[in-house]
Amino acid sequence: MSLITMQHVVKSYTMGDEHLVVLKDVNLTVEAGEFLAIMGPSGSGKSTMMNIMGLLDTFDSGLYQLRDTDVTHLSDNERAHVRNKEIGFVFQSFNLMPRMTLLENVALPMVYAGIGRRERQDRAAAALTQVGLGDRLDHQPNEISGGQMQRVAIARAIVNRPAVIMADEPTGNLDSKTSVEIIRIFQELNAAGTTVVMVTHEPDIAQYTKRIISFRDGIIQTDQVLDQPHKAGVEE
Amino acid sequence: MTVIESFKMAIEAITANKMRSFLTMLGIIIGIAAVIAILAIGNGATTKITGTFNDLGATTISLSVSNKAGNDAQLTAADLQAIKQADDRVTAVSPNYTLSGFAATNTQDQQAIIFGGTPDLQYTSTMMDSTITAGRYFTQADYAESAPVAVISADGAAQLFPNQRNVVGQTITLRSRTTSISVRLIGETQSTVDKYQGAVRRSSFPVYVAIPYSTMKLLSINAGGITDVTMKVRSRNDITSVSQSTVRLLETRHDVVGEQLYTARNFLSALDQVDSVLGLFVNFIAAVAAIALIVGGIGVMNIMLVSVTERTREIGTRKALGATTRDILIQFLLEAVILSLIGGLIGLTLGIAVAEIVANVLGITARITWQAILLVLLFASAVGVFFGLYPARKAAKLNPIEALRYE
Repeated sequence: MSLITMQHVVKSYTMGDEHLVVLKDVNLTVEAGEFLAIMGPSGSGKSTMMNIMGLLDTFDSGLYQLRDTDVTHLSDNERAHVRNKEIGFVFQSFNLMPRMTLLENVALPMVYAGIGRRERQDRAAAALTQVGLGDRLDHQPNEISGGQMQRVAIARAIVNRPAVIMADEPTGNLDSKTSVEIIRIFQELNAAGTTVVMVTHEPDIAQYTKRIISFRDGIIQTDQVLDQPHKAGVEE
Repeated sequence: MTVIESFKMAIEAITANKMRSFLTMLGIIIGIAAVIAILAIGNGATTKITGTFNDLGATTISLSVSNKAGNDAQLTAADLQAIKQADDRVTAVSPNYTLSGFAATNTQDQQAIIFGGTPDLQYTSTMMDSTITAGRYFTQADYAESAPVAVISADGAAQLFPNQRNVVGQTITLRSRTTSISVRLIGETQSTVDKYQGAVRRSSFPVYVAIPYSTMKLLSINAGGITDVTMKVRSRNDITSVSQSTVRLLETRHDVVGEQLYTARNFLSALDQVDSVLGLFVNFIAAVAAIALIVGGIGVMNIMLVSVTERTREIGTRKALGATTRDILIQFLLEAVILSLIGGLIGLTLGIAVAEIVANVLGITARITWQAILLVLLFASAVGVFFGLYPARKAAKLNPIEALRYE
């Protein structure tokens, strides 16, 4: 059984008189352990695809199975629970809570999961150590760099041990050197078995993944497995 | 998510913007302070007034004869005797007759309030009572003889005899519009001007004098038949039954049963009236204060709406991380309630302080009941819930994708 199975997914918006079909019969299967890049120009449907895969958005017709479970028809609350348990989000602009410490930020998904305070702290500290910020637990987001903020966001994404990490332009706000550092963390996580789906418009960043899907006009135009992904270099 | 977590988040959000939170609370603070101060002062004033009425005459009955009554129906000294003898719960009966005239000596001439009564006047009158400081009150014998004797208040004595310590035995002239008589001062009561607790000017205060009602008849042609009587009964509980039996007795004696010529009033009904007027007043001001609270609530709603807009991205992120609609609703609702409740607590403290100060100035005791405290805190919370619900629902219903995209 695949980790993610999407069949004949159609998504359309109505804006005024205009009916816009954003995804036209999309089929996609993602196996556990993949590192997938979703590419495409603006309006190609890649962001919509990401939102649907991340259970932030619903779709008109089709089927979506996530880890043996049919998540096609879920209520808002059920989708919130699945997001909380199975999906780790990483955003372009980090989206950390400005007044919380790094530890509290990383612990936040576990608050919504109803995990006790002690376990939250232990697991958040472990996740921050994993991304190399184990010595900054009590810092505030405004005290660290952009690259470090994105690492905190990654720690937050993995802390609930999700089925898949959804990263939406995770390097979009970072310089190229920092971008590679972030990609390296994704590669490390992926090597340890975590499935990663990343939306990006930077072809060179996509080269670090194992499979690239290109969207155009609401359909998957190309689906290409990379035999030799780039290896993100060790930090100097 | 647990309540404790929501609570922590709400406190963090409130303390992140201290000045704004305080300004938002200000409406609630003022509203609650006003409500608690008015309730405390109102309760204090009611207690004070009730106490005064109890002092004055919780055991007093005022008996009056209708002006439709003919001469035959007017009361006589014999009637008063009969009332007192008929019921041992009646402790004092006296005509309640007051004449505005003048009191003069060879050198002084002052305005005077002249009271006419039986010797029981010392128990029925609040002004010329039995607190004799020199000499004595007039007696039944004085009354029977229409003796030209008088009791004078201490301040009156000081006005008429500025240089004399003891005025007992002195003679003064009492003058009405029609006639004048000479009376001998036989007693001095304590100062009457002091009973007004500084509410009147001492220099313009008239001389208070009490004389037997029989003597009053020599001074005033109107003091013939008795039309106003004040009675004292042993206890508050006797008031109603004694009032009824006395009216029946008088109707029988004058053979006017059923004509409703005699009316017995007591201070209990007056007290009820004062209570209800005061209660109306307190409720009215409390309602005005409640309007202030509602305005404060609108302030809370306004700032919560601003907060929801400002934190749209935060809300989107929280939803992406797994916050349910309910989690977000509770977080923002709790923030509004805590904001209102903190405002309520500050307002409560301020209100108690204001009440104490005002009560001190008015010379009453502010009464702050725990019911009032509970009421205002509940009310503050209710304001928070009511005005926080709309912004909280707005936050909870945000579409996560649009919220995440919000710049």
